[in-house]
Amino acid sequence: MILRLTIALLMLLVVSAPVGLALFLLAFGVDAFFSPFPLIRGLGQILWSSSDSSLLIAIPFFVLLGEILVRSGVAERTYRALDAWLSWLPGGLIHANIATATFFSATSGSSVATAATVATVASPQAHRLGYDPRLFAGAIAAGGTLGIMIPPSINLIVYGFLTQTSIPQLFLAGLIPGILLALLFMVLTGVLCALRPGLGGPSRSADWRTRVRGLADLVPIFILFGVIIGSIYQGWATPTEAAAVGVAIAMLIAASVRGLTIPTLAAALLGTVKVTGMIAFIIIAASYLNYALGAAGLGRDLTALLDSLALGPLETMLVIVALYIVLGFFIETLSLMVATIPIVAPIVVQLGYDPVWFGVMLILLVEMALITPPVGLNLFVVQGARRAVGAPGGLGQVMIGAAPYAGVMLAMAGLLLAFPGLALWLPSLG
Amino acid sequence: MTPIDWHHRLCRVNRGVGLTCGVVLLLACAVILVEIVTRRIAFGILGGTDELSGYVMAAVASWSAGFALIERAHIRIDLVHRRLPALARAGLDLLALAALLTVSIVILVYGGRVLGKSISAGSTANTPLETPLWIPQTIWLAGWVWFALASLALLVLAAWAMARGEWADAAEIAGPEGDDIPEAAEAAGIRG
Repeated sequence: MILRLTIALLMLLVVSAPVGLALFLLAFGVDAFFSPFPLIRGLGQILWSSSDSSLLIAIPFFVLLGEILVRSGVAERTYRALDAWLSWLPGGLIHANIATATFFSATSGSSVATAATVATVASPQAHRLGYDPRLFAGAIAAGGTLGIMIPPSINLIVYGFLTQTSIPQLFLAGLIPGILLALLFMVLTGVLCALRPGLGGPSRSADWRTRVRGLADLVPIFILFGVIIGSIYQGWATPTEAAAVGVAIAMLIAASVRGLTIPTLAAALLGTVKVTGMIAFIIIAASYLNYALGAAGLGRDLTALLDSLALGPLETMLVIVALYIVLGFFIETLSLMVATIPIVAPIVVQLGYDPVWFGVMLILLVEMALITPPVGLNLFVVQGARRAVGAPGGLGQVMIGAAPYAGVMLAMAGLLLAFPGLALWLPSLG
Repeated sequence: MTPIDWHHRLCRVNRGVGLTCGVVLLLACAVILVEIVTRRIAFGILGGTDELSGYVMAAVASWSAGFALIERAHIRIDLVHRRLPALARAGLDLLALAALLTVSIVILVYGGRVLGKSISAGSTANTPLETPLWIPQTIWLAGWVWFALASLALLVLAAWAMARGEWADAAEIAGPEGDDIPEAAEAAGIRG
């Protein structure tokens, strides 16, 4: 069953069926061929109960929060402030690219919006100041991926929803690996640029007055992050409530820089609803597939498969990691997650791995999918933004530039395997 | 009027749907904030916010799925698609829409049974509010009706455009959005 389903799924995706549709069709197929009793009677109830969820509504809230910050120009101000603080390092502005991406991933869950914003603001400067266009663009694409690791992360909510894992625990688990990854990106940039100074632009240092003035743009973002994560961690608020508070603070921040106009808000709302519709359709379809697979006895099949493979937990995990890296070349983040979670998560739990730990591992692997060619959304987004501002160079440059950062992610996956505590230490304190 | 003109009309109506969903989300946000504040002052003035935000999510989920369909925002893996000749691409687009229409009709049938049962049994939520379930479920199911209508309309318009040999228009109606690039860049570029 597992093999046939995997083939069917890949075929549906190859003929470019919308991902949610593919999952529904797959579930109907399970019903028709593998289930002893008709599962479709449960369809209506599953559809209703999976969307009637006060947890899922956190997703549109976090999307809206990010949309407001990006469209009101707050993201751009953050970039300029971080530029003033970080450009003296070897690699100069590239550090500002990564740090801005980190800040934004800490407040919203959107990788794409972050990558697009930083690329648009930064690309003209890269050319003017003589940065290596490959490394510069690659760092933006890689930095953007942090959005789904550092909490609040929409992808972690989706994972928690489908595997019934605690969202606050997942958020805490993502924090250290996310920040560590950002630091490793910066170390890599610094080392590369120190070894080959031609890669980085001129070292510039802003005067202290500019830096201090820049703080006015950074502090609100810190507060926003602190309120969201702090309130969830302290148990004052559910993730949904924290997200609602976050939206309110984002609107205040946007208003304080006079960026909150009616057209901006309307555009942010439309953008939010669009992303929500896309995510909701996939999640609802995945919930039904989850139910169909469970009812058709996937668990038995999995046990049989694992027995026949006769691999230890570590070997199996390595196979899973390799599988995600290969699939990640071709399939997009969210699709990759929801299509595989119903099958892979039970295997992992059966092997004795902590579902919270695996959530973080999975996010890391799908982050890599964002920047590995030929299909990597962030690569396309950065290239699109470069073209829009008239910067020269093709998509190949972004791919090459992102490759070293993908290497860092792979190393990070190794670290997570060797030291599960990186993810599990913070949640264990709570 | 040509197919693409009708499509533009459809998009305008759809924007209304999208904005309504957005405003409802903002209102839900406001209600949650009020609940958090009142929880501090007097325990449980509002209450039931959790339940209400669940209903909002259900409604927004189904309505926004239709909105996203017309906006071509549903993810499609176009690795193979974009390398095919126009005729094959158009065929896959029609096939996808026909399948979506079929799935949405199945959803309407079984979702309708859930609603029907709530009405005939007079079911109420197992909560202090005792919300009659037919109210949120009707709004929710109406969203799926919009989704089915949207797939039908897009299917007819795309087929019509293809019959007239207007391939570019047909792709604009039914093709994958590509990789979101222009829009994401444009969204950021407003300030750039």
